[in-house]
Amino acid sequence: MPMLRGFLVLVLFFLFGEALRLVFLIPVSGGVLGMILMTFTLMLRGRVSNALASASQGLISVLVLLIMPGVVGVFFMASQFSGQWLAVAAALLVGTFLSVLSTLLLMQGLVRLSARGRAND
Amino acid sequence: MIELVERFLAVPDALSASPIFAIGLTLSAFFAGNWLFARIGKPLWMPPVVLSAVLLSAVIALFSVDYARYQEGALWITVLLGPATVALGIPLYQQIHHIRAMWVPIVVTLPLAATLAAVYAVVIAWAMGATPEVLASLAPKSVTAPIAIGITEQLGGSVPLMMGGLLITGVVATLFVDVLAKWLPVEDERILGFALGLNGHAIGTARAFEISHTAGAFASLGMGLTGVFTALILPVVFHL
Repeated sequence: MPMLRGFLVLVLFFLFGEALRLVFLIPVSGGVLGMILMTFTLMLRGRVSNALASASQGLISVLVLLIMPGVVGVFFMASQFSGQWLAVAAALLVGTFLSVLSTLLLMQGLVRLSARGRAND
Repeated sequence: MIELVERFLAVPDALSASPIFAIGLTLSAFFAGNWLFARIGKPLWMPPVVLSAVLLSAVIALFSVDYARYQEGALWITVLLGPATVALGIPLYQQIHHIRAMWVPIVVTLPLAATLAAVYAVVIAWAMGATPEVLASLAPKSVTAPIAIGITEQLGGSVPLMMGGLLITGVVATLFVDVLAKWLPVEDERILGFALGLNGHAIGTARAFEISHTAGAFASLGMGLTGVFTALILPVVFHL
């Protein structure tokens, strides 16, 4: 029961997000708007109810199951992208390598910089 | 007797007409994939989601299950991605003290790194002659699936292609973080976790929880923030 009550809260926030998207023509999905609203609501409220926490944990732990039908689609895609597979593979492999490298270097540099700044204070 | 056989032969078709068939099939593949993953020693390069998807596709192809009908039934599962995205707001709130403790590096790195993750892929694919539809499918490759689906639909990309890209990105991001952490070297678990979540979404986050709880918390943070930032910025930038 408590978990279902938490699920209802998630569904209501999602529907509210969808409504906002449709009314104000926001280029972000209703789920994302609901997530932002949820974070701010919790920050204002200062705590998470057990019902909401258990419902969100339940859904997040089966995230992989929820995306599976979409992943299966990859294997049944029409050959409309044939001839572009090399571009896709290069973008994914080289692009991800570069972005991981950039993130690590940026983050490490900034953490060192802010640690030094703190030491100088 | 012949009637009985005829009725028996009609069973698969009748059952597969109901969404509960697609749900049963997906759940079975999910558990089978997880079981197989544990059996082959939990290799990093082959996460359970890939195993499950391959098994599910194999069953659909081998038993010539009507693919359109399967996807129709599976809608009962994928529709839950909406509330699941909202649910990501809860860990985000729970880790707000982590953001406060390290907010300067996070606030500076996030917009730059999240933008670069999309830009590198789009520029490389564009230079190699990919069509706008393919570019739109590759742009949200580092964003967690429920948000990425929304972004791809907004941009006019192909959701199946995006999901494939997402999957490969998650797996290789996890590998590259492990390799580069040794090579650079980076030892701070907070940085490794953040990089895993930012570049490798849910797959990277799962890996980060194996490193430590702190790394896992920072990965969830990186995943959530990248999702929000990309969802807000990409549809605006992409149309320029």
